[in-house]
Amino acid sequence: MATATMTVQSLKPYFPWITLVILVSVVGLLNPAFLKPNSLIVLIADIVPLFIMALGMTFAIYIGGIDLSVQQIANFVTVIATVFLLQFGIFVAVLCIITGFVIGAISGWITTKQYVPSFVATLAMGFIALSLARFLSGERALSMNAEARDATFGWIFERTVGVPNELIIAATLLLLVWFLQNHTTFGRALKAVGAGELAAVASGLNVDRIKILAFALSGTMAAVAGLMFSAKLSGGDANLANGFLILAIVAVLVGGTPLTGGVGGMMNTLAGTLIVVVIRSAMIYLEINAIMQQMVFGVILIVAIALTIDRSKIRIVK
Amino acid sequence: MAITEASGGIISSLKLSRRNTLIKWAPLLVLVVLIAFFSLIEPRFFSVRNFARIFTAASPSLMVAVGVTFIIIMGSIDLSMEGTISVCAVSFAFCFMALGGTLASWAWLSLPFALVIGAIMGALNGLIHVKLKIPSFMASLAMGFVGTGLAMVMTGGDRIRIEDEFFRGLLTERILNFPLMVYVAVLFLLVAWVIQSYTILGRNFYAVGGGEELAIASGVDVDRVRIMGFMLAGIFFSVGALLAVGRIGIAETATGNNFMFLSITAVVVGGTALWGGIGGVWNTLVGVLVVFVIGNGMVVIGLPGYTQDGVLGLLVIIAVILSTDRKSISFVK
Repeated sequence: MATATMTVQSLKPYFPWITLVILVSVVGLLNPAFLKPNSLIVLIADIVPLFIMALGMTFAIYIGGIDLSVQQIANFVTVIATVFLLQFGIFVAVLCIITGFVIGAISGWITTKQYVPSFVATLAMGFIALSLARFLSGERALSMNAEARDATFGWIFERTVGVPNELIIAATLLLLVWFLQNHTTFGRALKAVGAGELAAVASGLNVDRIKILAFALSGTMAAVAGLMFSAKLSGGDANLANGFLILAIVAVLVGGTPLTGGVGGMMNTLAGTLIVVVIRSAMIYLEINAIMQQMVFGVILIVAIALTIDRSKIRIVK
Repeated sequence: MAITEASGGIISSLKLSRRNTLIKWAPLLVLVVLIAFFSLIEPRFFSVRNFARIFTAASPSLMVAVGVTFIIIMGSIDLSMEGTISVCAVSFAFCFMALGGTLASWAWLSLPFALVIGAIMGALNGLIHVKLKIPSFMASLAMGFVGTGLAMVMTGGDRIRIEDEFFRGLLTERILNFPLMVYVAVLFLLVAWVIQSYTILGRNFYAVGGGEELAIASGVDVDRVRIMGFMLAGIFFSVGALLAVGRIGIAETATGNNFMFLSITAVVVGGTALWGGIGGVWNTLVGVLVVFVIGNGMVVIGLPGYTQDGVLGLLVIIAVILSTDRKSISFVK
């Protein structure tokens, strides 16, 4: 019995990947066309903005917080990218990224220095971003100037030796945040904060700075996601990225980073996002419509949290 | 030594009570200042007609905010209202149309039916939170997504029009210039006040919010109180849904839109602390009025609608910061 639990425990880190393999096999059996390499690549390339947003969300959840502003940051950024593309060219990307970083950092500052729980702080900052997006867009759906869009962002949607550049961007970002998480002092500090904040404070870490940076990175990645989404759809409006929030949270949690933080990480989010891709394509194959998918993901979210959450960390569940 | 400790205790409790007095009256002060401010800039703001408009717009949100107040008093949160409201509104509309489509027939049964649906959704929400030990913000957020999806499945994206003149009387019938729905909202506010102040359940909400371990030690069945709380909130969300349908005459998936942030903001701005144990339904009334006076006032003085989201965002942050006793917490997640 003891050895059985031991094996289950030691297998736990691989659960997301095992789940993924099982899901892919099941969907592949139901619909063999799903397994064609080309259609798989298209499917995965399609979800790159979501993946990038989920990577950012991982920072926030890894330290035991949450970022509910990511969808609104992405919305705001689609508007910024569309409005300022002609004026700034490729430098509009810098503007977008700074916007995401600043909004995230403000959320982080509010939650760490002002003791506002992160879900409220980020929810509120999200509404401020929405307000700004509606202001900047004049409450209209805007289109990018086609020539400027092709000249500046067209390369993202081309292929290099058969691989979509979108995937290369996603892989580069994954490598970057994975390196940040596993091979830098900041990464280790993140883990310390996630594993036990009081202990991290006691050991002399500047916990506030680390947490603020985690939220800033979450905002930054949300901005990158918004930028890519905007370039993809060649436009922007204050509601363009709606629907991303739940999928990003699901991707992180299904990947095995629990709501309580401390374990999991970027590679888990890769597994989680791929699981989301497979489930979504299965639902499209089964002709389940978009909003009903939200219902399914809501249920998956509840199951994923229940399975991963570390209950020894929260004495009282509020 | 004992004396210093005792006097220290008295001083800190004095400070605490001064703090509580401030928290109690500050929101009302803000409301009065806001009304004075908007009235000075635009005299038309201060008219019976405009106040009727504000109260009518605020009635559905007041019900939703009152529902979530119970949850916040316990120190938890409920973010499921948008989904619950949509499901209740749509269920009500289907039932109403199926039973004859007018309140003068058996279709009146669809009113209690909607409340039952709200109670079921709320209880489910509470059960998931308590039994699976998932933090309430996440359990309820997920349930909200499920609810919105469910409403979509039920309607297939269609809108259901309710044109019955008796039901629409909620909006069209006026007593002393205020539509009937305002009186319905006031009635349910009084019900909520009675539950909060004169029932064991109401006291237990404060006991759980004031200190869960103490509540357990004194024999409160905390799990049961929590589930009952979420169920009660679900019923009030359903009342909000009925008023929202009465106001617009349409039930659809989008009926629940915008209620989440609006009601949470109202509760927090009214002075019910997110940490639990302080505040109540009267605070929420003040909070809802603050939110809707700002919304209405900004339009009346000519500011565009989108400024409201931003102002509410700032307001909720400021309100939480002001209601937080910084000395008593070491960190937040």
